[in-house]
Amino acid sequence: MILRRKTIEATVPSMAMGDIAFLLLIFIVLLARARDESHLVWQPATGTELVKPVNKNASVVIDKQNVAYLNGRPVQLENLAAELKPLLGNLPAGSRTVLFKVHKDVIAEFFEPAIEAVSKAGGELHHVLEPAPNPSAPR
Amino acid sequence: MNDIAFILIVFFLVCASVEPEDGRSQVIPRSEKNEDQQTSQSTEVGLTPAIVTIDGTPYQLGEFQPRIRQILSRKKTEAERVVVLKSQADVPYQHWIAMTEIIERAGGIVTLLIEEEQTIQIN
Repeated sequence: MILRRKTIEATVPSMAMGDIAFLLLIFIVLLARARDESHLVWQPATGTELVKPVNKNASVVIDKQNVAYLNGRPVQLENLAAELKPLLGNLPAGSRTVLFKVHKDVIAEFFEPAIEAVSKAGGELHHVLEPAPNPSAPR
Repeated sequence: MNDIAFILIVFFLVCASVEPEDGRSQVIPRSEKNEDQQTSQSTEVGLTPAIVTIDGTPYQLGEFQPRIRQILSRKKTEAERVVVLKSQADVPYQHWIAMTEIIERAGGIVTLLIEEEQTIQIN
């Protein structure tokens, strides 16, 4: 009598792969969100003839609560110039753009010192705005 | 189904991660230079939430644009076109942006005049 040896197939469960990919994706997204500014609450002021920045070296945000952030990290306004300087380094003029994102209702008491700090660090301001609504557009 | 869900998630993530960057570039001269420029015949604009002053004369918001254009059109050199902007502490950013846009469109170069608080202790 001949007994055939049982062959055991080693396969990757394909149904579980989707779940694994999904969990990996959530993990990567959470890591990425901790580094960006999407969690900051601010509404841009309006402007006309808006242009895209040529480059971006740093980003300063002042949110709804008048809190300043440099590249998504909270920063004291007094320390902003000192923290910006190493980010801008010795870049030539025209390549020292600092994105400036301020909530539209923040008052001068908070945003003017930030502008001064960017200027002191030799940064070139780029106010991030949204296009003003066209008054002639149909409602 | 898994592939579809995956592609949908990626699509939504890409959509959500696009942050606005359009805006207006502004060159604020370095503070060291400001002192020299202020000694020349620069224009001083005072900003409050309701009115604007040009060299101390108050104007309604609607009158500001033609007046500043008129003043700056007479200025020939870059140093003369410097506009020293002094804002009240309660001026909102939206208003500040609108006014500086008018000044820059009229050919002005905005510099800021920021008051510093100093505490002097008298013995």
